[in-house]
Amino acid sequence: MEIVFQTMANGLLVGALYGLVALGFALLMGVMKFLNTAHGTFIILGGYLSYWLLELWGIDPFLSLPLVVMAMFLIGIVFYKLALSPLLKLPNIGMRINSSMLITFGSIWVLDNTMTVLWTPDVRSIMTSYTGQTLKLLGVRFSLTGLGGVGVAILVALVLYFILSGTYFGKHIRAATQDVVAASLCGINVQRTYLFSCGIAIALAGVAGMVVVSSYSISSTAGIGWLSSAFVVMVLAGEGNINAIIPAGMVLGLIESAGLLVMGVSYRQAIALIVFIIVLMIKPQGLFAKKEYGS
Amino acid sequence: MLKITHIDVYYGDLQALWDVSLTIGEGEIVTLVGSNGAGKSTVMNTISGLLKIRAGSIEFRGVRLDSLPAHSIVEHGISMVPEGRRIFPQMTVLENLEMGASIYAARKVRQKTLKEIYEVFPILGERAKQRAGTLSGGEQQMLAIGRALMSQPKGLLIDEMSLGLSPLVVQELSRVIQSINKQNNLTVFVVEQDVPLALSMAHRGYVIENGRIIDEGDAKSLLCSARIKEAYLGTA
Amino acid sequence: MNWKKVSIFGVLVMGFLVPPLIWDLGTSVLNLLSMLFIYIILAQSWNLMGGYTGQINLGLAAFFGCGTLVTHFIWKAGVPFYLAMAAGGVAAMVLAVIIGLPTLRLKGMYFGIGTFALAEVCRIVVGGTFHRMLKMPSSYVASYSLISRYYVAFVVAALAVVVVYRVTHSKLGLGMVAVRDDETAAQVTGVNTFKCKVLALFISALLAGLAGGVFAYLRLSFHFIHMMFSPVWTFEPLMATIIGGAGTLAGPIIGSVFLVILSEIFALKLGEAHLIVFGFLFVLVVMYFPQGLVGSLDRIRPWFRRSWSRRAAREGQGKP
Repeated sequence: MEIVFQTMANGLLVGALYGLVALGFALLMGVMKFLNTAHGTFIILGGYLSYWLLELWGIDPFLSLPLVVMAMFLIGIVFYKLALSPLLKLPNIGMRINSSMLITFGSIWVLDNTMTVLWTPDVRSIMTSYTGQTLKLLGVRFSLTGLGGVGVAILVALVLYFILSGTYFGKHIRAATQDVVAASLCGINVQRTYLFSCGIAIALAGVAGMVVVSSYSISSTAGIGWLSSAFVVMVLAGEGNINAIIPAGMVLGLIESAGLLVMGVSYRQAIALIVFIIVLMIKPQGLFAKKEYGS
Repeated sequence: MLKITHIDVYYGDLQALWDVSLTIGEGEIVTLVGSNGAGKSTVMNTISGLLKIRAGSIEFRGVRLDSLPAHSIVEHGISMVPEGRRIFPQMTVLENLEMGASIYAARKVRQKTLKEIYEVFPILGERAKQRAGTLSGGEQQMLAIGRALMSQPKGLLIDEMSLGLSPLVVQELSRVIQSINKQNNLTVFVVEQDVPLALSMAHRGYVIENGRIIDEGDAKSLLCSARIKEAYLGTA
Repeated sequence: MNWKKVSIFGVLVMGFLVPPLIWDLGTSVLNLLSMLFIYIILAQSWNLMGGYTGQINLGLAAFFGCGTLVTHFIWKAGVPFYLAMAAGGVAAMVLAVIIGLPTLRLKGMYFGIGTFALAEVCRIVVGGTFHRMLKMPSSYVASYSLISRYYVAFVVAALAVVVVYRVTHSKLGLGMVAVRDDETAAQVTGVNTFKCKVLALFISALLAGLAGGVFAYLRLSFHFIHMMFSPVWTFEPLMATIIGGAGTLAGPIIGSVFLVILSEIFALKLGEAHLIVFGFLFVLVVMYFPQGLVGSLDRIRPWFRRSWSRRAAREGQGKP
């Protein structure tokens, strides 16, 4: 019985990370209808940044997080300018989704393999004084880095929620998502809004990367695996439903853990994918879909 | 105040407007009438910056607008109520109005402008916290107009106000527009399929057909002109 | 019959059939060319679905891996290799039914995601089931002849090209293109869009399975069989097709040649460095040259014709 609780607890921890991983991806897809298949790659990149900040200058990853955020934000802006902004000229959304999928897909190969050439495909992990230490709560062991990851995930989700609902910029994002033309007519500079949104989305990937490298490990080719998780979480939450992302991630984590108990480690990833397919077929709006009013 | 001179507009390779010229003076209500597909909305979308001209110029209070992006045109004082209202369905009435005040100058005086809008359209005040998508057609139109007014424009463009609305509602909106025009000296440019409505609301009018301006004049005399009567009002 | 095209095809065929009989090209060249042919089959397979029918299948690797796996075991059991390969192709088609059933109903990008997810499931399940290395008995190793692999690969590649040609020039092919351009309009004009998509999937799966069979015949033994289900086997043909020109017959071939040449140039670098260049090219093509290399050539051709005819006109008038 204890094993069940332990596995479930781990599932929640992993789930929070899955949610964090999916946030930036869902932001780009929900807001701008850009399918950023390179999202996983950016997560790895963020992980590398945290890793090198520790290796070279001894800064703890949780402390260097603001630096990583800023760096990834800038990278996101550059990425938007180079690869994504030309897509705004396309006449319809379907083409935009397809083209962004293909372009970011090409970027994966460029970025992944550049990272491989620069930093080798070796698996990297962060070792600090608290790595591997656990805390016992309610009879269950939680890893410190895992808890830190959950804390980061929740904090980031709250910040994002605040930005989206409380600030003018966030409302501009929501307006542009619902009707781009009307937003422009209100005087909203949609291009600039998109630019900063992309920066935020990539910065979110960076944060996820930091948690990944401190709780698990990264390697230059691991990006696609995280993309997969991000996709599944986004579909579970329902496209555009940013507030449901962290809960949806936790649901995924729990389902995976349950599957682990039943089927064993080697098939763990397959479970998430099968759940994904089932949800796609039965309830494509996601498990957390809200009712839609109006147009 | 608004000077459109000899503009050509294309949709890709298809020409939609040929050598269109219009002037709208300060404080006037001017209307552009024509049948479906004549080019009315094209003119509107071009002025507001959604479409670009290939020839000619658009000038507002001395400033060239034709090369500016849509959001900059709002900053220069022109606000458009688009065809089909295009309110933000998942945002509340209040949030929609706030979006109208996105430009910096309008943001500062947001609260004052809100109060004024609520006076003109009391129903918006009542439904302030409601999701805009749940409003009726007439209420949405009021919201769209209110939202456009939130940017404190000097010139208001209205594209097909009457579409899908009951005659009573349309009359009320028309009355409101005329009163705002008188009180605040707001210049209004209206595009309409409902010719009698448009010409009764406006001071002057233009007639467009197949992308070309074919007639212009004082609203009353246009209403009586034989051509208009024949083409749009169905008198033999 | 377009005799010009047939004769070009014939020349190319001779160009590949004859040389190995005369010269000893060496192991690495023969290996490289065999892999090129496999890539061509995969690219044509993906192109049939993605380029002609507009269904972006991101799970092609599952069909390839399935073909490799099934062919390996059936051949090991003593069945002649060409039957084993055929079995691999058929097995891939069966897998296509399983994968196609849930995913063909999905629209737009969700089809791609769905196929990707299912292919990954296949990979994980295979990886979990087959831990040990898959080896061939030493008798097979002893009788290994690279030249026969080369010819088999070539024949199957030529076959793939012919099959795609016949399909795309048939009524089915017209239906497929209609689905790609506008599925709703196609339905309204009476095209059985579902049938087109299903057939495209089946033929694509068959070809990919055969490619897997050829690969099993080429490599004999596999350390990690699940790597044959790796997404790389989807994405390299995909990129090759798009760079070469999706929706054309020559596009996948040109793209595959490009891919193989690039990988040879960068063969000594760490990782898959050739993919950096390839990825870059891919992005450029998607953004600026959506018809790929073939399409760009089409745009240059009128240029040549104009300068030819100008020269002919000049000469005709007796000017120097």
